[in-house]
Parts: sequence; structure tokens; C-alpha cells
Amino acid sequence: MKQRPISGGSLSAVELPVGAVRAVPLARPASPLTEALRRLRRSATALVGLGIVAALIGVATFADVLAPRSPTASDQAHTFARPSWDYPLGTDQLGRDMLSRLIHGSRISLAVGVSSVLLALFVGVPLGLVAGYSGGRVDTTVMRLMDLILAFPIYLLAIILMVIFTPTAGLIGTMKVTGAIAIVRIPIYARLVRGSVLSIKEKEYIEACRALGVRTPSILLGHILPNCLAPIIVTTTLGIATSIIVEATLSFLGLGTQPPTPSWGWDLKANVAFIQTYPWLSLFPGLAIFVTVLGFNLFGDGLRDALDPRLK
Amino acid sequence: MRAPYALSGLRFLMIVLTSLAVFVSSSALAAEPKRGGTLRVAYGNEILGLDFHTVPGYEMIWVATNVGCGLLGITPDGKFVPDAAESWQISPDGLLYTFKLKRNVLFHDGTPVDAAAVKFSIDRIMDPATRSSMRPFYEAVHSVEVLDPHSVQIRLKYPYAFMMHMLAAYRMGLVLYSPTATQKYTLEERKAGKAEAVVGCGPFKLVEWVKGSHLVMDRFDKYFEPGLPYLNRVVIRVIKDPVTQMAAFKAGEIDFIADFSADHVDTLRAQNPGAQIMTGKETTPMVAMMKVTVPADGKPMSKERAPHPIFSDIRVRKAIGCYGIDRKEIVKIAFKGQATPWLGIIPPGSLDTVDVTSMCPYDPARAKALLAEAGYGPQKPLTFELLTNTEKSVFSVIATMVKEQLARLGVTANIRLVDKPSWLTTTTQDGPFDMYIEDLATLLTVDQNSYLSMTTAGWNHSRHTDTKVDEYYARYAREMDPAKRKAIAKEFQEFSADKLYWNTISGSPFYQVAQPWMKGYVYQAEFKVHYKKVWLDR
Amino acid sequence: MRTYILRRLLQIVPTVLMITLVVFVMMRSVPGDPVVVLLGDAYTEENAVKVREEYALDKPVLVQYGIWLGKLVRGDWGASILSGRPVLSDVLVRLPVTLELIVLSMGIALLIAVPAAIIGALRQNTWADYTATTAAMIGVSIPEFFVGILLLLVFSFSLHGFLPSSGWMYLPGTCPSMVCGVSVWGNLQHVLMPAVALGVGRAAILTRLLRASMLEVIRSEYVTTARAKGLSERPVVFKHALKNALIPTVTVMGLQVGFLIGGAIVVETLFAMPGLGTFGIDAIIARDYQQVQGFALITALAFVVINLIVDLTYTFLDPRIRYA
Repeated sequence: MKQRPISGGSLSAVELPVGAVRAVPLARPASPLTEALRRLRRSATALVGLGIVAALIGVATFADVLAPRSPTASDQAHTFARPSWDYPLGTDQLGRDMLSRLIHGSRISLAVGVSSVLLALFVGVPLGLVAGYSGGRVDTTVMRLMDLILAFPIYLLAIILMVIFTPTAGLIGTMKVTGAIAIVRIPIYARLVRGSVLSIKEKEYIEACRALGVRTPSILLGHILPNCLAPIIVTTTLGIATSIIVEATLSFLGLGTQPPTPSWGWDLKANVAFIQTYPWLSLFPGLAIFVTVLGFNLFGDGLRDALDPRLK
Repeated sequence: MRAPYALSGLRFLMIVLTSLAVFVSSSALAAEPKRGGTLRVAYGNEILGLDFHTVPGYEMIWVATNVGCGLLGITPDGKFVPDAAESWQISPDGLLYTFKLKRNVLFHDGTPVDAAAVKFSIDRIMDPATRSSMRPFYEAVHSVEVLDPHSVQIRLKYPYAFMMHMLAAYRMGLVLYSPTATQKYTLEERKAGKAEAVVGCGPFKLVEWVKGSHLVMDRFDKYFEPGLPYLNRVVIRVIKDPVTQMAAFKAGEIDFIADFSADHVDTLRAQNPGAQIMTGKETTPMVAMMKVTVPADGKPMSKERAPHPIFSDIRVRKAIGCYGIDRKEIVKIAFKGQATPWLGIIPPGSLDTVDVTSMCPYDPARAKALLAEAGYGPQKPLTFELLTNTEKSVFSVIATMVKEQLARLGVTANIRLVDKPSWLTTTTQDGPFDMYIEDLATLLTVDQNSYLSMTTAGWNHSRHTDTKVDEYYARYAREMDPAKRKAIAKEFQEFSADKLYWNTISGSPFYQVAQPWMKGYVYQAEFKVHYKKVWLDR
Repeated sequence: MRTYILRRLLQIVPTVLMITLVVFVMMRSVPGDPVVVLLGDAYTEENAVKVREEYALDKPVLVQYGIWLGKLVRGDWGASILSGRPVLSDVLVRLPVTLELIVLSMGIALLIAVPAAIIGALRQNTWADYTATTAAMIGVSIPEFFVGILLLLVFSFSLHGFLPSSGWMYLPGTCPSMVCGVSVWGNLQHVLMPAVALGVGRAAILTRLLRASMLEVIRSEYVTTARAKGLSERPVVFKHALKNALIPTVTVMGLQVGFLIGGAIVVETLFAMPGLGTFGIDAIIARDYQQVQGFALITALAFVVINLIVDLTYTFLDPRIRYA
């Protein structure tokens, strides 16, 4: 009795196995996955979002090739240059080309955005699974811990964590920011998955599986996890957007990745001081952040609509 | 018939008298200070506390110089002028300083400023239990004696050439405390800015301090200089960001910016053509300090020292700090040419300074040669960490430029940017660092620096162990002949440029900005920010 | 019902305690302590040791927490190590500023979100709907400080300083000291841009959520039944749809307050407002332990109390929900 994975992501709708005592439409449509893909392809927002995200990934990957100059090379003779053919986005106080800085900055933003969310995922989902399935003491302990993290305003916790880690530059610095943001987002996934688990746990077919002697891990992975897949995917995509904003905000407060590593948030902060005379220097990084986050949000929205059209 | 001469004589006299009258009245009109008004000041940093003897920070000092008074003051050209003391005498052997106090000086709580109060204040500063940052300045003092209610005598252990400078303007100079008020209120109450506890004898009395928001001081009606101060009130706000300061200035919301960022002077000038932008010769050094020793056993502040793996070698110090840094380029970009490229321990604007910058011309070839001699080269590239903090944006700019310049030598400097408290902790507590970029204390004389640089001082960041530095300080401070002092200073300057325990890159310019209607303010760098003669022309 | 409220009120205590304990421990893990800044030029090893002893900084962390708690129970929030100022009075001085900012931002958010959501839900898939949803999408994607920067650029630096770029004017009656600028109009000028900067992002999220919830409710059966009964459009929408759609919205609003408190930090820094946000971040960076505790305490209290209010609002909105 192979259980079909549940699509739609709704926690209330449950498809019962074929052969159960419920009328099932005779003409079964194509599998939920292809259904979802079809809706996705038709959604304008999702496609636009996907386009932006793909473009960004391309820029970040091929930054070395795309950027006309080095993002850290300063040129004393051309400080504060206006946007021109030579310097499409102008230069900053040290004569560094803003276009190259923006292109390389995409790496930090994407890297932090994606990896912080993935990290939160890989820690939060197992926590939620274990908590929900085991129940009792384990459940309470884990959820108490999650509540503790959630009790903090997100920025307060991230700020304190970064001050503890001490912001630095380079790879280590980026990893610290990733860690700080990931810690703050773990409870979201844990709660999400736990909720799913709780609603499915007591269903008959799970009991049947247990009766048949199927071991816990495969129950978890094979039956329960697939049900949460859709909301996890949506939350992840939207979570990347939020992470990018948090990273930019931390950099703006001076607590993110430190120079000379090019970072959009840092460039914004450093150039706000010159906003009256050289406004484009802070506008462009801000726009870059905005477009990136917009892309992920659009795509995430499109995904959500595709996976559960009833919520449209 | 009247003689023509007599008539023209009378007419002449009338013309002279009339023009004299016109001249006198017009100049009086032009220069007549108006009484009243509120001066609105902006600080770029928080005031840390209001116990003048112990709390650090310039923002506190600039309040202390208005709420407090001392024995004497100093003019921008170095002359000593009376404050609470009306006259003084120095004994021929230089060991006795006798001050005669004015009769009408009162503290804000009404108690008199008498010899007992002076003794009380100095004793308090010298007491180790007070933990005053000014205590090292009083090393030479043996004791203070009350001769009569208005005469006080300071006895020194040995002649100290800068006793008067120290009392006048080292940090804020001696600030007199009222014995009554100090004993009535606790240290915490003074630090916290409780109005009744913060008592001085200056032209303004503290009304209120709301940390992070504002500080208010009002005219002290019983101030001993008649007619002063003109202002009714001074309100100080903290506006950290220069852009915000400029906006407030342009909108006329503030009258005076006590410490304005060098980066934005041009913008402010463009926006406010009538503004008074005041600056002078730099008395603050911008340094690229290299650590010379590390604790031998790994324990911070250990007495046993081991050489720093990179910068204990004088050749490397010279290669990096002397020939490898293009000081002119840094001044041009970071300060837009508004500073002086410099070398040597005495800043460009301090007493007895000597320009020894020619000892370190920018010479990348020579730098590379020295590095090769020390064992660094393409086979073994030199890499180190360049520390700086976020207090001023210009630090990051300079650090980045130094990094670039060193890259031309094949040296990799990795920048580590931390916040000021972290920087303080690392550098003052013998933490690990290689080189840092910062601007350190403002110096009236290099003698003021002794607590920063001597081998035993807590602030000896490079942790050098060369007692010759201590010798120079001692000789300089005890030489009473000004000409000989100058010679010692020159020698010290050259020595410091040669050894590079203290590596100055340039002066750090200090700007103050005032609205055109703010009159009567005398610029005296970071030392004296006095509002007592300020008046508002509107 | 009363027992429920009582129980929840009691639960506030352990939650707040836990948060403050975690903050306490985390601050002690930050490298560096306030002693170096406190002593300034007077720094020597022996002075440092003496000062640490005076302020009990050399004791184990839990003991220090116990000392803080002991003082707190007597109503003493402690005093800043650096400035000696009592923490409670400083917090109370800054509280009205942040409170006004948060309340106003939420108000602006609702003002934008509710009409937008209603339009979107009723006139689904029309131009109006698309505009609303696009605007919401944009609002969600801009970081608050960037909105703030754009506002500054337009209103402070371009239009001849139409709105002030920093500082604060107190509302009559909230002035914490003897010397305040007090004026309602001045206050409005100073709070408008920060509140908009904070509110726009919240508005966007609320619009999307409210619209989606309303759509769901509209499609659900009892609304169709109501329509079938012949009730006209308006009451259907407002009475049933809106009221029930508000439930998840109210939840999210409660969570949003957490975001607002944090977002206030950034906005206050940008606009140089003397509020709790700048207070907190300055304290954290300066390692002023006592002030950070005060900040954590009031933030935690606010958060927990607001969640309680949110939960209680459910009973008002949906009579079906009753707590044991």
C-alpha cells in the first residue's frame, strides 16, 4: 500500500490511500508534481522572480569575469567619480569601482542568504521531526528552547550574537554572520515541521505502518517528511529573502562582514555619509538589495501559489 | 575779526571730536556683546560621565572647562592667564609654586574657592584610591600647603618645566572641587550628573544631564568675572552622524559643532558659505603603531617580554612604517590635503616640535631591500594584521590605503576592524595585534604624552622596553632652560623617528564649526572649549 | 477565563527571567568588558583588578545574575558601570520615544493594509488588486533603513529640509526633563519619517496576509450561506469575512511587534532618535552590562505582555474560542 506523497502543503488536507472508503474522482489528473510545475510555468510572478534569482546566481558565480575591475583596488586619482562610461556606477571615496563592488557583493549576499537558511533547515527540520514524533519530555524541551529563541526580537539576538562572535572580514567573517542568522531562524523550521508531524502522527495509516513493523526513521523520512515538503520549500525561499535583509541590516550597523570584503550593506552604510553630495553611492547598493530580495519573494510567492492554488 | 586760524582750529577740534565719537560708538556697536540667549552645541560622541577627575573622554573635558574652573588658563599663543588664581610666583630653584587666589571666587554651591579647596582638589587627584587619569601628571608634586586662606603653595620633588602647562591645560588642567560638595555626594552621583553633586567654579552650572539626549548648563550668576558669561544657557546634544550634524546645522537647529569630521568639511562649507570653520595646526597624531614585544609566557601584561615575531626587528619597522608608507598620498586622499604628513613623536602643532619627516621619505625600493635583509621576499612573503576601529571613518580609509601601499611591496596587510571598546581592550591589555591605525591623545606638549609612551605606562601599546625613552621624557621635563629644552625635544624627536616605537603618519586635523552669528569664541584645538566669552549676534 | 489570565500573567515571570538570564550570560561572553573604557587613561592592571572587585565582575556569572536579580526584586534596576546613571530612569526617559514610534508605525501599517487588503479581496484580479499586491510585494522587499534613506533624501535633503533629519520633540506631558522641545507639531515632524520607514514593511506583510485570509473566508461556506440568505454584500464582508480574517492577522501583528522592536533599533540609529533602540545598541557595543540588562528586561516584558494581549483579543474577535 504505497502512500502517495501529499501535495498542496495544506496541513488539513490529507489524501487517503487508494482503496479507502472515500469517493475518489475516477479521472485522476497527472501527478501533483507535474501539476505544480504547470501552474508554476503559467505564473508571471514566479517566472519573473525565477529570472531575477537566476540572473543573480549567474552574476555571483561569474563575478570575476563580469566585473570590469577589482572591487578592492583603489585608485587615488579617481575618487568620487560620477557614473560614466569608464565607471558605470561611479567610484567611492577610495576610488573603487562601484559596479565591480556591487557584482562581487552579490556573492556575500547570496552566500549568506542561502547558507544561513540551509543551515537553519538542516538543524531545524530534524529537531522538529524528533520533537513532534517523540512527544512528551523531548518535545517540551525542544519546544522550550525554540520558544526561547523566538522570544527575542530577531535583530536583538542577531546583534548580540555578532558582538560575541566579533565581526571580521573574509570567509570567517561571512561564516559568523551566516551562523548568527541561522540560529535565529532555526525555530521557524522546527515549529513548522513539528506542526505537520503532530497532525499526521495519529492517522491510521501511520499506525498501520508501525503495526507492520516499519522502523521509525523510515516512517519519518518516507511518510511524514514529504508532507511538509511544500511549506518547507516556500518558507526556505522566502527565508532567503529575509536573511538577505538581515545581513544587510547587520552590515549597516557595522556588525556584518567587515571590509575590505565587498558587501552591499557595508557600502550602503559607508556611503550614507556622502548622501547629499554623491547620492548614487548609497542608492545603488540599496537597489541591489531590493532587487535581490524582490526576486526571491516573487519566486517564493509563485511557488506557494503553484503548490497550493487554493491559497491564491 | 576772528583770526582764520582760531576758527579753523575750533572747527578742526569739532571734526576731531565728532569723528572720535563716531568711531568710538561705531566700534562699540560693532563689538558690543549681547547678553542672553541659548547656545546649542552638538557633540559627535556621548559624554561618558561627569566626575571630572576620573571619567575619560573629550566630551567630558569640554563640559569640565565650562562648569569647572582652575588656577590658570592658557591662550592659543601659549601665554598663561589667571583663572581663579590672580597671580603666582615660582621660587628660583623651581620647587615652590605659590598661587594667590582671587577673593570673590565661589563654587556653585556657594562655598568659597579658597586655598583649602585647592589643596583638597590636588590631594584628591593624587590619591591612588581616586584612580584619576590625571594622577601621572602630578608625579613631581611633593605636597600642597595652605599658607593662608587665599594663598596656596605647591612643593615639587624636583624641578618640573611644565608645571604651569600641566595645571593650565593637560587634559582640562586642574579643575577645582568643592570639599563640601565632594564629601556630601557620592562618586556615582557625580558621575551620573546629578546637578547638585557636580559642582565647579566655572561660568556655567550644570542644570541637567540626560545621557544620550542632552546636557544643559545655565549661567552661574555669581561667576567671578564681571559681566560674564553672556549666554543664559548652553544646551549640548549628541549627534553622532556627520550628515545629521550638517543637516541640523544647515537648518539652524544648532549653533556650534564641537568636533566636526574632516571628511565632510568641504560639503559643509559648500552648503553654508557663511559658516565659521575653525582649525589650526594639528596637535593630535595619526599613528600606525607597531607592537614591539609580546608577553613571554602568553599572559597579558606579563613583565617578561619576548620580541614580537614581526615588528621587533627594526629593519621591518623601517621598511613598513618608514619607507613603505606614502604619507603624502594618505594626507591627500584621507584628509583631502588638510593635514600635515609627519613623523616623530611630537605632533606638528605641539610645543617644541621639529619636522623630521625627511628621515622617512617614501622609498619602496629601499623598503623592499630592508625586507629582503630581514628575510622576507617572494619566497617568504610578509603577512600581518592591521587593526583599526570604527570610531572615525577616516581610520578605515587610511588602513585601506596603507594596505594598498604595502601591497606594492609584496606585503599583505589584513585589515581587522573592531569597535572602539574592543580596540581599547586589545591594545591596552597587551592583547594580540601587529599594527594599528588610530589617532591618539591631543598634546599640548610631548611631556603630556609620557603616560602614553613610557616603558611602564599602561598605555604603552607597543610595549617597548627601551628605557632611553623614559630618559628623554625625564630630561625634557626637568630642563628649566627653554633653549636647552628645545634641543632635547629635537633629539627626542629624531630618536623616536629612528626607533619607530611610535610611528606617526600625519597630524590629525581638528575642526570646529560655528554659525555666523556665534561670536566671541576662541579656537584652541581640543584643549579649551570655552563658552564664557561667547555671545549670539541676533 | 479569569484563571486563564491569571495563569498567563504568572507565566510571564519565568519567561522574562529566562530571557534576561540568557542575555546576561551572552553579554559576559562578549570579548572585553567595560573596565578598560571606564578607567580610560588611568588604566593599569592593579586599578583594573580593584575596579572589577568593586563591581563584582570577578565573581561567577550566575552569582552576578543573582545579585542583579536581588536588586531587581527591590525595584532597583542597577546603575551603569560607565556613567553611574540609574538604569531605570534612563529606560523610562527613552521609553515614550520608542513607544510612540512603534504605535505609530503599527497604525500606519494598518491604515495602509486594511483598505488595500479589502480592495484586493473584493476586487480580485483587477487593476486595483494588482497594484495593491505589487505595492505590498515591493514593501516587503525593501530593508527599513533603505526606506529611511530614501525618505531622508527626498524630504530632508532635497525639499529644503521640509522634515528634520534627526532629533526629537516631545509631546506635551512626556518631557522627561526640564529642558525639552515640546510641541505636537514638532513631534509629528520628527516621528513621521521613522514611523513610515518602519510601517511600510509591516504594511506590506499585513496586506498580503489579510488579503489571503479574507479570500479564504469569503470562499468558505458560511459566507456563501449568508449570501444565499439574501444578505447584501457589505455586511457580509465586514461582519464575517473581516472579523474572522483578523484572527491570523492579529497573531502576525503580535509577532510583528518583535520585528518592530528590532527594526526600531535600525531606524532610531538612522534618524538619531533618543529611544530605546539606540539605548540598547549603544549599551551592547559599550559592554555596559547593567544597561543591556535593563534593555533586555523591558524588551522581554513588552514582548510577553503584547503576546498576552493578542491572545486575549481572540476571544473578542471570535466568540467560539474560549479558554479553559
